Amino acid sequence: MAAIELKLDHVSKSFAKKESKSVINVLQDINASFHENEFISIVGTSGCGKSTLLRLVAGFINPTEGKIIMNGEEVTKTEPNRGMVFQKPTLFPWLTVGQNIAFSLKAQGIYKENAERVDEMLELIGLADFKDEFPARLSGGMAQRVALARTIINQPDVLLLDEPLSALDAFTRMNMQDEVLAIWKLRKQLVLMVTHDVDEAIYMGTKVVVMDKNPGRISKIIPIELDYPRDRTSKQFVDYRIEILNTLHFGNK
Amino acid sequence: MENEEILENNELTLDELQAKEMKEKTKFQKILDHVTCFLPIIVGFIAILEYKLVPNVPEFYNPKPNTYITFLLILMGIFFSLYVVSLFLKRKSFFNTVLHKAPLTAAVFAFLILYDCLTLKSNYLLYPFFPWFNDILNAMIGDAAFLLECSLNTLKLLFYGYFSGVLVGLITGIICGYSKKAEYWVDPLIKILGPIPTATWIPLIMVIASTLFKGCVFIVALGVWFAVTTATMTGIKSIDKAYFEAAQNMGCDSKQLIFKIAIPAAVPNIFQGMTQGMSSACVALMVAEMIGVESGLGWYIVWAKAWANYSKMYASIIIICIIFTVVTQTLAFIRRRVLRWQEGLVR
Ligand SMILES: Nc1ncnc2c1ncn2[C@@H]1O[C@H](COP(=O)(O)OP(=O)(O)OP(=O)(O)O)[C@@H](O)[C@H]1O
Ligand SMILES: [Mg+2]
Repeated sequence: MAAIELKLDHVSKSFAKKESKSVINVLQDINASFHENEFISIVGTSGCGKSTLLRLVAGFINPTEGKIIMNGEEVTKTEPNRGMVFQKPTLFPWLTVGQNIAFSLKAQGIYKENAERVDEMLELIGLADFKDEFPARLSGGMAQRVALARTIINQPDVLLLDEPLSALDAFTRMNMQDEVLAIWKLRKQLVLMVTHDVDEAIYMGTKVVVMDKNPGRISKIIPIELDYPRDRTSKQFVDYRIEILNTLHFGNK
Repeated sequence: MENEEILENNELTLDELQAKEMKEKTKFQKILDHVTCFLPIIVGFIAILEYKLVPNVPEFYNPKPNTYITFLLILMGIFFSLYVVSLFLKRKSFFNTVLHKAPLTAAVFAFLILYDCLTLKSNYLLYPFFPWFNDILNAMIGDAAFLLECSLNTLKLLFYGYFSGVLVGLITGIICGYSKKAEYWVDPLIKILGPIPTATWIPLIMVIASTLFKGCVFIVALGVWFAVTTATMTGIKSIDKAYFEAAQNMGCDSKQLIFKIAIPAAVPNIFQGMTQGMSSACVALMVAEMIGVESGLGWYIVWAKAWANYSKMYASIIIICIIFTVVTQTLAFIRRRVLRWQEGLVR
């Protein structure tokens, strides 16, 4: 994997609130720098601007102030190299699973020379038999796996995951955590993952970014120095959990 | 993983699965099923006997009396061969369809018996306003060449009008769904013109249009255009924005967003508009033919009535019925095919 540098340089984002004719500062002065082979978990209370942060990095919206710089170039629009997986799978219901996965290759006009990648992806997510099914026939976990495959088929340098596992039941979720980790280890790209689940953040991340709200900002970046696969019941794991919960003001100290 | 479990299930064939899930039918029920399948044949024979044996009203002149019998025999023959074929097919679903349609087919024969009794046998429904069925069939066969010509004319008008309406409707619908500016100008037009039945314009169009044919095509197309435009517009406007974002993130440019996202996502609405447009097209076409155009089945009806030839009138009504049913059913079939991805999504 080539070197990747994603820099958030004094990034602020405000939205106009139409009803009250006021402006709401969602993110204020975010500074951070992330690199390849990092798995960044982002936690924070609801409404603190986690999704907004990912949407900024993806390029769906532009910062009000500051810059997002990827490998020296300012981010101004969305592109497959910063692939996003949404909280809802948003698979295109009119396309089969195979066509959904092939979608981005076709859109970029590079399908012919890469057609075999679709089957590789289907193998990877274990849904080879579902290639010709329509998304309406998939379970939630299967749909989320297809959504993941659809994005990583582009081999993005930055993979943006907005609570990709939150709709899943506990068992599917734990399986999927390992699958996502396996995908990350395969290509060692940079992953930014928003989650509501502190355990998930520690279990998966090389770093946990803890955010605070009003206005949204980074209150702490905690490197997790544990080897994979991680033991959720180990002493260090529990210590990290306490530290993060305290930072989120949920601790009992 | 989940899919292994499903794989095991896949080893069953669909029929075996259905057989497993359904309660085993008793012998009595099975026999009853086959008796039901014979019901149309039985009622059909009764219809023939009734026609042959019950004396006609003495004054009625009924030339070529065997047309009706041939017709009945053909219907029965068709049903019977479907039944026989279904016995030999491995798939049970075809037999079930035949079984399902049997009572309805029998009811059709029963209706024919009733109608024959009320007309030819008793003149309870007065001649010539209600000619007996044999008379209608003979009228149909006697004037077959002309009826065919009229049918082709009707079909031509319908297709020209319908497809030009759909095409223009799609274009305006997509543009207005996409661009606020276009909507600003087109929306009032739709709001004002939309609720007016297209038939209202016929007298005007007949005067203005350079040829009657063009005028009629325009009338038919107008209603279709309206239905397709509004449906497409609603469809495109109600697309989840997340689809567009996902597509852009996967490398779609704005042209691809239209053709790969907006249009396919709006297809259910578009078909709804097309179905609605088809019924409005049929209405407009009939009215247009009756008022202005001097050809087509609608005109034939008026013409036959003017000559007090009610048998011919009914003949053409039946043909219109068949044509419109076939056209509507074909559209519904295509719609089901194209919208296969909705299975499991709706309902
Ligand atoms: N397009 C927008 N226009 C106006 N306000 C917005 C917009 N997008 C987000 N916001 C506001 O920004 C704030 C943060 O939203 P965001 O979705 O980023 O939160 P979040 O941290 O992802 O929350 P959650 O954990 O519930 O998903 C919210 O108060 C929301 O109302
Ligand atoms: Mg969010």
